[in-house]
Formats: sequence, C-alpha cells, structure tokens
Amino acid sequence: MFGGLREKLLVARNRLGSSIYGAAATQSPPELGLSTGKTAPAPETSKPISPLSPTFVDKVRVLITDRELIVSEKDVSDALSELEMTLLESDVAMPVSDAIISHVKISLVGKHRKIGDSVDALVVGALKSALLDVLGSGFNLADYVRTHNRPVKILFTGVNGTGKTTTVAKIGAYLKKMGFTVVIGAGDTYRAGAIEQIGVHAERIGIKIIQHQEGADPSAVLFDAVQYAVSHKIDVVLADTAGRFHTKSNLMSQLEKIKRVMKPDLVIYIDEAVAGNDAVIRAAEFEKTVGSDAVILTKADMDSRGGAAISIAHTIGKPLMFLGTGQGYDDIIPFEPEQVVEDLLGGGT
Amino acid sequence: MDQRELMTLQHYMKEYGQQAEIFVGQLELLENGRMEAHAAIEALEAMIVAEDAIVLHQIGGGASVKAKILEPDKVLLSIGAEVVIERSNKDAIEFLKERIIEMEASQKKVSETLDRLRGQMNEINKRLEAGYQQSVAAGQEQE
Repeated sequence: MFGGLREKLLVARNRLGSSIYGAAATQSPPELGLSTGKTAPAPETSKPISPLSPTFVDKVRVLITDRELIVSEKDVSDALSELEMTLLESDVAMPVSDAIISHVKISLVGKHRKIGDSVDALVVGALKSALLDVLGSGFNLADYVRTHNRPVKILFTGVNGTGKTTTVAKIGAYLKKMGFTVVIGAGDTYRAGAIEQIGVHAERIGIKIIQHQEGADPSAVLFDAVQYAVSHKIDVVLADTAGRFHTKSNLMSQLEKIKRVMKPDLVIYIDEAVAGNDAVIRAAEFEKTVGSDAVILTKADMDSRGGAAISIAHTIGKPLMFLGTGQGYDDIIPFEPEQVVEDLLGGGT
Repeated sequence: MDQRELMTLQHYMKEYGQQAEIFVGQLELLENGRMEAHAAIEALEAMIVAEDAIVLHQIGGGASVKAKILEPDKVLLSIGAEVVIERSNKDAIEFLKERIIEMEASQKKVSETLDRLRGQMNEINKRLEAGYQQSVAAGQEQE
C-alpha cells in the first residue's frame, strides 16, 4: 500500500538530509579557522535567535559556544522544492502539500542541531510531524460506538462503483468481531441486484438485514432498520444507500430525506483511494452538500501514490476512518495515522 | 444441493462478475493511460529532432493540420493533484517514463486481483454445474 509514495519520500528524505549535511560542512570550525576543541561559556546562547532567518553571526556564535549548527532556509530550499514536487506527483492536494512543506520548514529552519546528532533523525522527525499534522487523528469507530447511545446509526454515502455495499458488509463484520450487535438496512433500492448483494453479504457474516422491494423508498427501509434495532436492543445500524453524484439534485434531496427520517449519528463518505485527487474533490463536494463525519477509502491496496489518503482529512476537515485493502471481509483496516506515517517513513526516529 | 444453496451461488457469481467488470474497466483505463504516455513520449522525442518543429495536430473527425511548435523544449505537464508545471522536453519524457512504470505496476496488481476473482468464479461455476446435475438426476429418479 502506497509503495510509490514510500519510495519517493525516501528519496526526498535523503535529499533533505544531504542538504543539511552540506550546510554543516560549510559551517564546520576548521573552515572558519576556529579552534575545534574550545567551548565558550553559556550566557551568550541565551540571547534570542531569530527562528527563521539565523544570521551568519548567529550561526558562528552558536557553532563556537554550543558546538551546534543552525539550519537556514537557504540550506534546505532546493530539497523542500523537490519534496513539494514529490508530493504533488503523488496526487497530494496542493493545500496539503503546502501545509506539509511549511511544517517541515518550521521544524528544520532555525533549529539548533548538535554536531554529531543524526541528521536523518532530524529530517524524519520533521517529516513525521508534518504528515501527522495533515493526517489528523483518525476515527476509532469501536470507541465511538462504546461511548454513545445505542443504537448508533451510521449512514453510508458516496458515488457509484466505489465498493460501498461491500464496505458496509466489511464494517458489519468488523463491528461483529469487536463484540457489537449489528443490523444492516438495505437502503440501495435503486441499483438492480443491490438488495440481493447486501442480503448475501449479511447472510455470510451472520448479520440481520432489513430490506424492502427494489424501487421502495430508502427512507422507509432505513427507518424500519432503526426501529428493529431499537426494539431488539441492537448496538449499530449500518445504512447502505445508492451511489450518487453530488450534482444529481433529486438524489441529493433523497439523501436529505433519509437523513431527516433516520437521524444518523454518523454520515460516512466512501470513495476509492485509486481515484486520487478526484476522490478528494468529490469528498469536499459531498461534505458541502450533505455533510459527513468521516471518510472511508476503498481499494487502498491498489493505490501506489497515496495522495487521497494523505490529503482527504486535511482538505475536508473530517477524519479518515478505514482503508479497504482487498476482497475479503477482513480486508479493512482502521486508519491509524501513526501507523501509516511509520509505514511511509519506516524505521526512522 | 438444495435450491436455496444454488440461488446463493448464483448471487455470488453475479457479484463476482460485477466486481470483475469494475477491475476490467480499471485495467482498460490504465492501458489507455499507458498508451497515451507512450504516444506523448514519441511525439516529444520527435519534436526535438525535427528541424522545423512542425507536427501534425489532430483536430478531431480524422482531420489534422500542420502545426509549428514554438518552443519544443518547453512542455506543460500535468504532474498530479491538478497541478500543471513547465518542464524541459527531456524532463517531461523522464516523468512520463516513470508514470508508465507506475501504471504497469498498478496493471499487474489489478490483473492479479482479477485472476484471483476469476479463479473463485470458476470454483463457484463448478459447484453450480454439480448442483444442476444433481437436480436433474434427482428429477429423473422421481419420474
């Protein structure tokens, strides 16, 4: 998953590291004609140093007194431009890419680095912190269900053909595994075969399903599913709906009606990771028109670039909840930003 | 095998068939992208070596006009995230070659998934066949 982005980030990380090494070489005491072993008393360093634009005098003073180097903006500007290209080429949205670059710059520029400290650790730390900043905190569904009134009603929306129905089944299997009771409402009464499809899934994973005839009012189906959950003390209602584009006003009105009738606790937007920036744009449009509380990206196992996964939370301001990673019911993983960043930057501190 | 089991297997077949169609569609998109990138590389390489920088520019409906490239070494390239940047001809070719490698890797993954899906469909098909034959045999016995 996101293998292409991982490789490109490794190149960018090495490039940033060598830029800082290069800066260190030009600031080294022998080249400045200074004695290497001497350290001056500390008071000098307590003077404030401009965080973003250390002057040459600042650099020399810190170098002599503290045996430290200060990274300047010039030292890393080329490497940061390359990082920006890397992110854009990986379909990371422009505002997100800007935010990452800005964060890395603030983390590195003007910072004191002890001579002998690992440059790679400094760079990896800056990148990790920047990525974590844009990825947000994720969304722990199991915790949410545990801490809210039951039944927790979850409405799934999104465009056609992204694997919404299969994802509803996967979430059902996940919640069941976590010890919750679940009912599925077959609210996609529009697409031929959708009711049978979700019915087969429900049967395979052993979850009760509420369904009406094809063409029935989805609001009515989902209302019945909620009523069933209330009367049978079910923990979670998963409401499947027909895929729709935000530009189809009649279908969006239908979604509004569903929201009014079933009063969902969570509205989840589902799209496919392989759609890249298109998924981000669509998620933003859905967020504007119907609102959403979290996002699930399917087919993440086939997405080498990772742009959508990196960009979506920062762009629409809603967390990424799960990543779909295959065909099986277990092929869904909770989105944990720390884990994703660790996988992308691997091994560094 | 009872009728209910047969119906469930038919549903599986239908669902797997729909999924397979989606993956076939993705493969076609990737293949089109790969072919387009190859064509662009060919055009960029030809532009640089052509002394007069004149190319045939398709304007639709099978019609083409001769067009002169004003700056053959400057290419406006969509690099992703809806960002277009200016690159040199050589850099643009390098970029497109990298994209082709990425698309080929994605094609491989989609093909593998499609093969797995088709394998599962074959299994289901075998079970369906066996089920039908059992039903037919049971019907003949009753007669």
